[in-house]
Amino acid sequence: MPVFKLCMKLFLRNWLSVSLYIVIFLAISIAISATSTYEGRTGFRQEKAKIAFIDEEKTPLTEGFRQELGKSAEFISIPDQTEKLQDALFFRNVTYIMRIPRGYSENMLDSGSMQIEKTVVPNSAENAYIDLHVRQYWNLVRLYAKHDPDLTQQQLAERLKQNLAGDTRVTVQKQKQAKTSESFSMYYFNFLSYTLSAVLILGISAVLMVFNKLDVRRRIFCSPIRHLQFNLQMFSAILLFAVVSLVVLVGFCFLLDGKSIGTPNMVYFILNATVFTACISGLSFLIGSLIKNFSAISAVANVLTLGPSFISGVFVPQEFLNDTVLKIASFTPTYWYVQANANIARLTDFSWESLQPALSAMVIVLIFTAAFIALALVIGKRKRLMS
Amino acid sequence: MFRHVFIYRLKCLIRDRELVFWTFLFPIILGTFFYMAFMNIGNNEAFHPIDAALVPGGEESFDAPFQAVMKEVSTGKDRLFNLKQATGRAEADQWLRQGKIDGYYTSGRTIELTVKETGMNQSIMKSFADQYRSASAAVTRIASENPVAMKDGLLSDIGDQHHFVKETAGGSAEPDNLLNYFYSLIAMACLYGSFWGMKEVTDIQADISDRAARVNMAPVHKLKAFLAGSFAGLLILYAEILLLLAYLHYGLGIDFGHRTGYVLLTAFVGSILGQSFGAFIGAIVKTGEGLKIALLIVVTMVGSFLAGMMYLNMKYLIAEHVPLLAWINPVNLLTDAFYALYYYDSLHRFTLNLLVMCGFIILFCAGTYLMVRRRKYASL
Repeated sequence: MPVFKLCMKLFLRNWLSVSLYIVIFLAISIAISATSTYEGRTGFRQEKAKIAFIDEEKTPLTEGFRQELGKSAEFISIPDQTEKLQDALFFRNVTYIMRIPRGYSENMLDSGSMQIEKTVVPNSAENAYIDLHVRQYWNLVRLYAKHDPDLTQQQLAERLKQNLAGDTRVTVQKQKQAKTSESFSMYYFNFLSYTLSAVLILGISAVLMVFNKLDVRRRIFCSPIRHLQFNLQMFSAILLFAVVSLVVLVGFCFLLDGKSIGTPNMVYFILNATVFTACISGLSFLIGSLIKNFSAISAVANVLTLGPSFISGVFVPQEFLNDTVLKIASFTPTYWYVQANANIARLTDFSWESLQPALSAMVIVLIFTAAFIALALVIGKRKRLMS
Repeated sequence: MFRHVFIYRLKCLIRDRELVFWTFLFPIILGTFFYMAFMNIGNNEAFHPIDAALVPGGEESFDAPFQAVMKEVSTGKDRLFNLKQATGRAEADQWLRQGKIDGYYTSGRTIELTVKETGMNQSIMKSFADQYRSASAAVTRIASENPVAMKDGLLSDIGDQHHFVKETAGGSAEPDNLLNYFYSLIAMACLYGSFWGMKEVTDIQADISDRAARVNMAPVHKLKAFLAGSFAGLLILYAEILLLLAYLHYGLGIDFGHRTGYVLLTAFVGSILGQSFGAFIGAIVKTGEGLKIALLIVVTMVGSFLAGMMYLNMKYLIAEHVPLLAWINPVNLLTDAFYALYYYDSLHRFTLNLLVMCGFIILFCAGTYLMVRRRKYASL
């Protein structure tokens, strides 16, 4: 099997650039899995907005206000320096900077018009959320100040604490949710498409490029090996490389997310990844027959892997993307791969009807595969005839 | 002679299609992808009125006041809710399942909230109900202790909305954090310019490339040839960066603030930084072109990562916890200079960034000079 062996040698020669992608991929995946916790939450939990709270006067009223605000805000302590505060806001370490000016409490009690200063991310939901709490507290202060003016600040703060105690009952309508929904596995498999594309394109097209060199091709033509035999050996080498890449990359998912392994969803994740592997192998085959030098492959591989990953929902989830962008993305197999993944992640029953959206997406990826291979074969035939 | 070498180096460099791709086309393509992926994210962060429904509890005396308050906050441009009136729980449940609403209230003696999941909108809904409940509690308390208050307009006072907060601007521009991606992209492009610098050094040291051997044979002072080549590389790099800036600003609408002159200056210093860095690595690493390229790519990529190109908060985390790393990372210095120009009123931080960059340039140039000077070859 000389052709097969040669292919293996060529794969091994590129192992450094290929493994670099795998190492980066794993580092990022591990970082994601280490920083995120995907606990199935039960019951209602009040969201907390991150705010920087600067109290210039510290009266019983402002202290009471801070405590009430604490129910729905996480206080981030940042030194009171303009640039530090600005940085925190820009990078969303906080979304609301609140400054209570000196004399504010007294002014409120005298029905004055002093105002708390805020610096916010404009129009953000956190902005509306915190404003609601500010209004609630200080409106009550004004109310008491007007209609029960004998209360001291201390008493008023205590009274407000009582008024504001207690919670509105919140019922969370239960719905059956798949274990893999929003899980690490789903993100992992989405991100897998980037690494898999890079590894396969770099690996496979680099090998094909060697075989497509005119001199090498002429040498192969006059060798005592049948064309079919040659193709079979080359294809089986490519297949082996693709399968090994897939197994290695999927294998790490098993190490990193033990919880999802036992779910039936995992079977479909793997099926989807396999279909995608076939598709990218076809694409690599096409690139390998079109491009003549290795540095150009590196450029093409970068553009073809990064581009679809950005616009199809690998790096930024599809729900955050603009409709026009998604329409453009639907001309890439990555878009359909991500769609199928999202569908699979949400599956709770595996009837034909619920599987259908995921399976149709996979069929579309297979159509892409057929198109890539057909195109590559046509180009290959043309080149053979020309040489 | 200087002009002659300069012009020929310029022609020679610009025909290197691979380098032109990585230093010019690649940042433009990546910028376009950034734009396509992120153009909608800001919209996602913004507050939109919450889709909510109200199910009457059946007791008019409790339903009516809450309904009135809900109606009040569901009208106008700054409304809190898009309110739907449900006939009963079943209908509201169906809306909730279909995702038409984020949650619904059932009024009655106590207000209750039903939601499908936990989130910011649901928290706002709960806070609103809390607010209603605590206001009622306060009114009851005041009325029981001071019955005259009802006559003094207690009920109208409770609905009297005051503005307790006023917004003050944080900086000279909006805190649009997505800009950092584009700033770090420009910084990366500048640092990719190091390939031009490395090429210059490779083409001047006779023991490294054939072309350098030929150049060393020519009756031109080595430093002169090197400077002419470097200026040609710098010219190409700066032109590329300017085109990139123009594309980002006019094509994609990226905001660089109002200090255009300083932005162009930063791009120029960044180009020199990239070029001199490449020359320095080219001169100091003797063995193998592969290693040099790998070094340049690793420094640029790791630098870009730390400057927040792949993960936005990385830049902030580094600046908070390992400030030294932020100051020695050339990609971060450039990103930070653009950021400071856009966001800060004062030029203090910008100047500091620029000075550190100049320090690096001096260091790299001096290092390169010491490596390359007076190297004579007894035999080629």
